[in-house]
Formats: sequence, C-alpha cells, structure tokens
Amino acid sequence: MSTDHESPKAHRPEGAHEPHAFFAHHFNTPDQQAGAAKLGMWVFLSTEILMFSGLFLAYFIVRMFYPDMVLAAHEHLNKTAGGINTVVLITSSVTMALAVRAAQVGNTPAIKRNLLLTIMFAGVFMVVKYFEYTAKFEHGMLPGKYYTAFEHGYYIPGNPHIFFAVYFCMTGLHGIHVLVGIGVLTWVYIRASKGHFGPNYYTPVENVGLYWHLVDLIWIFLFPLLYLVR
Amino acid sequence: MTETKLHLHGKPVEGFVELHEHISPVSTYMKVFGALLVLTALTYAVSYMSLGPASLPVAMIVAVAKASLVCMFFMHLKYDERYHVFIFLSTLIFVGIFFTFTIFDLSSRTKLQEVQGTFFLKDFDREPEAPPPMPVEAHGEGEAAPAEH
Amino acid sequence: MADDKSKHDAEHAEGHGKREPSYLVAQRGLKSWLFTIDHKRLGLMYLGSTLLFFFVGGVAAILFRTELLTPAGDFIPWLLSHLPTALGGTGGDVEAAVAQSATTYNKLFTVHGAVMVFLVIIPAVPGSLGNFLLPLMLGAKDVAFPRLNLLSFWVYTLGACFFLYTLFAGGLDTGWTFYTPYSSTTGTAVVSALFGAFILGFSSILTGLNFMVTIHKMRAPGMTWNRMPLFCWSIYATAVIQVLATPVLAITLLLLVVERTLNIGIFDPAMGGDPVLFQHFFWFYSHPAVYIMILPGFGIISELVAVHSRKHIFGYKAIALSSVAIAIISFIVWGHHMFVSGQSELAAIVFSFLTFAVAVPTAIKVFSWVATLYKGSIQFNTPMLYALMFLFTFSIGGLTGVFLGTLSVDVHLHDTYFVVAHFHYVMMGGTIIAFIGGLHHWWPKMTGRTYSVWQSKWAALLVFIGFNMTFFNQFVLGQQGMPRRYYTYVPQFQQQHMMSTIGSYILFLGLLWIAIYLLASLRRSAAPKEPLPDNTWGGASLEWSTQTPPIEHNFHGQPRVDTDPYNFPQIDRTGEVDHH
Repeated sequence: MSTDHESPKAHRPEGAHEPHAFFAHHFNTPDQQAGAAKLGMWVFLSTEILMFSGLFLAYFIVRMFYPDMVLAAHEHLNKTAGGINTVVLITSSVTMALAVRAAQVGNTPAIKRNLLLTIMFAGVFMVVKYFEYTAKFEHGMLPGKYYTAFEHGYYIPGNPHIFFAVYFCMTGLHGIHVLVGIGVLTWVYIRASKGHFGPNYYTPVENVGLYWHLVDLIWIFLFPLLYLVR
Repeated sequence: MTETKLHLHGKPVEGFVELHEHISPVSTYMKVFGALLVLTALTYAVSYMSLGPASLPVAMIVAVAKASLVCMFFMHLKYDERYHVFIFLSTLIFVGIFFTFTIFDLSSRTKLQEVQGTFFLKDFDREPEAPPPMPVEAHGEGEAAPAEH
Repeated sequence: MADDKSKHDAEHAEGHGKREPSYLVAQRGLKSWLFTIDHKRLGLMYLGSTLLFFFVGGVAAILFRTELLTPAGDFIPWLLSHLPTALGGTGGDVEAAVAQSATTYNKLFTVHGAVMVFLVIIPAVPGSLGNFLLPLMLGAKDVAFPRLNLLSFWVYTLGACFFLYTLFAGGLDTGWTFYTPYSSTTGTAVVSALFGAFILGFSSILTGLNFMVTIHKMRAPGMTWNRMPLFCWSIYATAVIQVLATPVLAITLLLLVVERTLNIGIFDPAMGGDPVLFQHFFWFYSHPAVYIMILPGFGIISELVAVHSRKHIFGYKAIALSSVAIAIISFIVWGHHMFVSGQSELAAIVFSFLTFAVAVPTAIKVFSWVATLYKGSIQFNTPMLYALMFLFTFSIGGLTGVFLGTLSVDVHLHDTYFVVAHFHYVMMGGTIIAFIGGLHHWWPKMTGRTYSVWQSKWAALLVFIGFNMTFFNQFVLGQQGMPRRYYTYVPQFQQQHMMSTIGSYILFLGLLWIAIYLLASLRRSAAPKEPLPDNTWGGASLEWSTQTPPIEHNFHGQPRVDTDPYNFPQIDRTGEVDHH
C-alpha cells in the first residue's frame, strides 16, 4: 500500500468535472459526490417502500379476512375526490420531472416555476384530502373504537372499523409524506432562487424529485386499492 | 457525460465512473404524462364495470403499468446506473417475500383451527347479519356508488 | 506489498518527521465533540454510549440473577422495601413490595432485553468500530455522508432518552418483543418505549444507508470488492439488512402505537384483528435483526483470526459471500419464532426447513476461520484469545440454534431456559465477545494508548469462565423444563440456578475489570512516552498504514491499493514485525 503526497487536486482523475461550490472535502470528484448522493437516495427510497409495504400487507390481510366488509366499506370512499387527487399528483410529478430537467440544462427560472407548480399541486392534494377526511369524521367513519358510523345512519356489515383504521393509516402516512415533500420542495425552491443549481450541480433537485415521484408511486397503488377495487 | 478514467499501474480502475446523467426531451415527459392520464381514466372507468374477482388483478396491472412509467421516465431508471434498478427491484422482491410468507401462513391456518376446535372472531363475522331496517341514506359523497357489488 | 523498500523507508521517515496532531486533539472543546462530523470521533461517542447502556443492562441482569439465587421470590421484595419511593421502591412497606415483586421482575428482564438489543448490540459494533474503521479500511477521508452520520448519532441519543424516560415512567413489562395483545393492554409505559425503538430504528437505517453508500462509492483507487477487508464485507451485509428490515419494524411499532392509543383493532382478536399478524410483522424485522447483531461480529473475527495467526485468511470469497448469503436467507426464516404461537403447521414446516439453510453459510465461516488457524503462526495476544473464545462459544450457540429450528424439538424447548442459553451464546458469546476482542485489537489505533497485557488476559479468562458458568447450565435447565421469565421456581432447580448466578457475578467482575483497565489506560499519566507505532499487530489493511491515532483526515495522501489486506509480512524469530 502506498500513498502519494501530492496536493488534494491531484486526486481528481483527468477529465473529471471541475469542483462546484458545494463540493465536499471528503470526495475526490464531484461525480463521486453526486453518485453517492443518488445511491443514498435510492437506498432511502427502498426503505420507504418497505415501510409502506407493511401497511399494504395489513390491507391485503384485512381484505382476505373480511372480503365483503372491505367491499362494502370502500364504497363509502369518495372515488371522484380520489381520482382528482390522482390526476393532481401525476401532474405534480410531471412538473417535478421538468424541474429536474430545467436544472440539468441550467434554466433557473424554469426550475423555480416548475417547483412552484409542484408545491401548488401538493397543496391542492392536501386540500382535497382535508375535505375527504372532514367528511369521514362527520360520518363517524373513524378507526377502531371511534367508529360510530352506525349512529349516522350508515350500516356496513362486519368490522368496518378495521378497514377505516387501515384507510387512515395508509392515507395518513402518505399525507405526512406529502407534507414533508412540501417542506423539502420549498427548501429546494429557496436554494434555486439563490442560483445554486446548474448543469454541474443539481443533486438536491434530483433527489427531492426522486422522493416526490415515490410519493406519487405509492398513491398510484393506494388509489385503486382503497377507492376503486371491488 | 465525460469519460472519466482512473489508471493505476497502467490498468483502468473499476467502478470509477460515478454519474450517468441523461436529459430527456420535454416531449418524452409529455407523452408519459398523457399515458398516465389515460391509464388513470381507464382504471377509474373499469371500476364501474362489475368485473368480480378479476377487478383486483386488472386494477393492479394498470397500477403497475403506471408505476413503471413513472419509474422509467420520471425517475430516469431507464437510463440510470444498473445498480439503482437492482436496488429497486430487489426491494420489491423483499416486499414479495414479506407478503408471500405472511399471507401463506394466515390463509393456511384454518386446518389447525378445525383440529383444535378453536376459532377466530372473524369467522363469525364472515356471514353478515341481516341489515337493520334502518334505511340507508345517500351520504353525500359516494352517491354514484351502486348498492350491489 | 509491491512498493520497493527504499520508497517505503522514505515514507516511514517522513511519517515520523512531521507528525500531524491526531484526530483526538485536532480540535478541542466539548462542542468539537458534540457536533463533530468526523467518523472517528463519532465512533468513540457511540462506543462510550453503547458501553454505558451495556452497564445499565448488565446491572438489571445482575439484579434478576440475584433474585433467582433462591426458589422463592425474596430478593426483589427485600430490595423494593429498602429503596426509597423516589427510586421506585416502597420505602419500607414490605407488603406492597411483595405485591409488586413479580411485576418488578418482569420490568427488570424487559429492561435488560430491550436495552441490550436496541441500545447495545444493534448499534455497538457498526456504530463504534464500524464508524471508526470503515473509512480507514477503505482508504477514504470519511463516510459518504458525514452530517447524516452525526444526525444518526443524535437520533440514537434521542431514542435512548425515550428509553430512559420509559424506565422512570413506570417501566416496561412486555419483554423486548412487545407481543400483542399484552402490549396493547398493559398499564406500563409502552408507548414511550415504542417511540424509543422507532427512533432507534431510524438511527440504524441512517447508519446502514451511510455505510452502504460509503462502501460503494468511497473505496480508494485499486480497492476492488475483493480487496476489501472482510470486516467491510460484514458491515456491508449488515447495512443491507438494516436498510431492508428496519422500515418494517418502524411501521410495526407505529401500528402498535395507534393500536394502543386509538384501539384500531388490527392486532386485537376481540375487535376482529389478529395478534399473530403482529408477530409476523415483528419477526420480519427482528429475525434479520439478529443478523444485524452477529454479522459485524463475524467481520471482527475474520480480521482477528487472520492477523494474529499471521496467515492469509482461508476462503476469502467464501467468507465474504457467506455474509451476503446470511443477510438474504435471514429474511425467509422468521416463522421459526412462531412455531407455537398459532402459525399454520404448513408454514411452520416450511420455515423450519428454510431455517436449516442459515447453518450452511455460517458453517462456511466457522470452517474458514479454523482453516485459517491451521498451520498459522498463532500469537496468543488478547484479541486472539477473544477470537478463540468466540469460535468456541459461537459454535455452541449456532448449533443449539439448529435444535431450536427443528420443529418437533422446539415444541419441547420453546420458552425455556434453553432458548435463553442459545441466544446468549450467540449474542453475548458471539457478538459481545467479538466486540470486546475487536476493542482490544483496535484500542491502540483508536486511542493511542496501550492497556495492561497481563490484566487483559486474566480478565479474558474471567469472562470466559463466568460466561460459560452462567449460560451452559441453562441449556440443561431448559431441557429439564425450567420456563423462562419466571421469578420463582421449584426447589429442584436451585443448584443450577445458583451456579448460573455465581457465573453471572464472575462475568460481571470480568467485564468491570476490562472497563477499569481500559479507562485507566486513558489517564494522562498513562500516556506513552513515545507515540505508539502505526502498526500494532502487523496488520496489512489500510487502517494500520496511517498514523496512530489517525490524523483528522485519516491519510496523509490518497492511499492506493494493489494487494489484498491479508498478505502479511513475515515475522522473524524475535517476534518483531518485519516489513518485508
């Protein structure tokens, strides 16, 4: 084993990008830094998928135990609201992808515009969700021991409190992810306004984008399972 | 992308190329967007047909199609490093393991119950009781939902 | 070592000519420690905190082992009635003390289990030795995400605070497994403990993620996958499990929290849920978690066995890939924890069969280590004593695991002291012994200090005797039908229980002795007059090529690797390390 006692710059192989302003000292090249960040993000996404998988499994088990109850209970979810939210999230995914593209080509106004649109769609999603939740609260369709829908004139056979428990856990955790998404999107927006991103450095935009697409992906499965399937 | 090569003792060092970047044209994103909207409309429309037991597989196939579009084009997996695809797919495999074994156990448990004479509460609820005479009112948000399924 | 001697000598001279300040003194002040992003300092901080909790868990164990000295429940009532109420006692009220003693026993073993699992064994090796060594072994300046590493440590501290809060808010009596429906109905502070474990899970995920990316992206030029020290391979396999399994624990605990607070009923049979579903969720994480605990230990042993027998490791690729194989197989065997909890027989048969598959890669490892020892120049340094101890105790632990994986045998042995003995032979006799061995191996590198050799060898002997005395009996006890988690027992078991308790005292003294001489080596007056040599044991991996203790940025330049880390320099007859 040997070490070369040259200046740190010499560790950068020929042909590598010039370091940008956000280059961390412990990497050899900016590419290495970007690659590490992206790999880290993918690994993080895989933990997210596994975390949600527990809830999906709970859903399938409840469905397996009580097929009739699940079918009866899901009719009480608002398909149209769910559909609107699906379209909203898909659109926000497109604007997010366009924001990443804008960063890749170095168009700061376009990054900002697309990020703003994404944040806006995320807000719309939460507003629709708010109205859906309010309706469920009013009808007493709540999880577990708080389930009182029968007092409001709805009869669902079996154990619908479990279905609504799963419903609230799944959409609730997803909603928390949307809120976190709004937070990180705002952070990226602020950094974009400061002109931090360009073709040489757009890792945060890209990684937040990956996160946002995952939130979309999960909704793509939640929507048919909770609202549509019978 | 720049061809970055590091040489050591005259031999190229493996795995030093770190970044695979790919800039898709806007038109690709728009096409994918269109496809996603069509698929959403499709799954929404299909839910009003009475497909019976086929409805879950159909809905899942459409969802998987949508998810693959998002992964491949929005998340750039189509152009990305193979290892990221590997991570993503192996995650799904582990999810599959989790699902398969748990569902396998929970669905093959009835044998034990018959032998031991034990039961779970859920088996009583399997047969829904007759609905009470209380009229089911329209509940504002799911009016379109048919009463039968 | 391909470099020629003259170059090496020149470097050597240069290294001594201008010693840079080590990472320990490069920055000063409390703040420079609490907010450090240096992986070496974080490693030391993890080391301190895990050892602190090791002590807490150990004290709990000593307390309930003392209770088990006699068949009647007498020690805990005595203890409670003599403790002031502020410390959870009854302040002289003997009747109240007797009434509480069973619950107190439950709380004690739960504290022992939960603290040892969540706060000690899972973070101990990756957190301390992993953090310290991984970048050094890979030839990197730091882990891939140093700030995430700091966050991970503080998340760990936050989780630990939740656990401490649990202790003072009425304790926890569910056992570390939180089985429903008991955990969703008992009156103890389950929710704060659940949040604690949930938060610690995040720390574990962040560490695993960081290490995975570090190994992928931060290897020095020339450090191919097959030139990585085996410790890195085992940390990699550990990281894979941490990343893939821990999220499921997170969602399980979250579901249990809502189950407890909102009664959602998904794990509650009275509300149409299924308690066995909880066990599936829990063990999907917790069985792989067992390998999170043991795999880093395997990595340490691979290093110790090779370095101290001065021989190239036998079956490098077999050991490396068996770590990954264990990581993957660990995900398909979790049902063997549920053989008697209402799982379907068919599933139990499948899980039992799959369980045997784990034995294969594990045996590959053990055989490779033994083959490495064969005809090696074995030096009985303290770390090597622990490595040999590991081979002995871990083999017992591993093989008794096969008994328990056998369906019909498990029906007899489940929930007895046999199970207790089995997992202590694996966790304590495996991971902790390996951890202590690794600590002795890298202590000079980490601190720049040496410990007393004779003391360390005698302490190792005490640990070995104490450990086996405590737990070997328990195999017999369990086989004879002594159930675990009981605080009274029939008098016929007293002799074995007494021996076990005395063994636990010896073990405790041995561990205390280790703590004392290691701490003593840190005193200002114990500082060596001349800086220690860079290479304490004649190891060939990169961490030995840098200064002892390492400088803040690890290496004086970019290390380059052109050989594998087990090509040891020969030793001449005087026992001194020859560099060529």
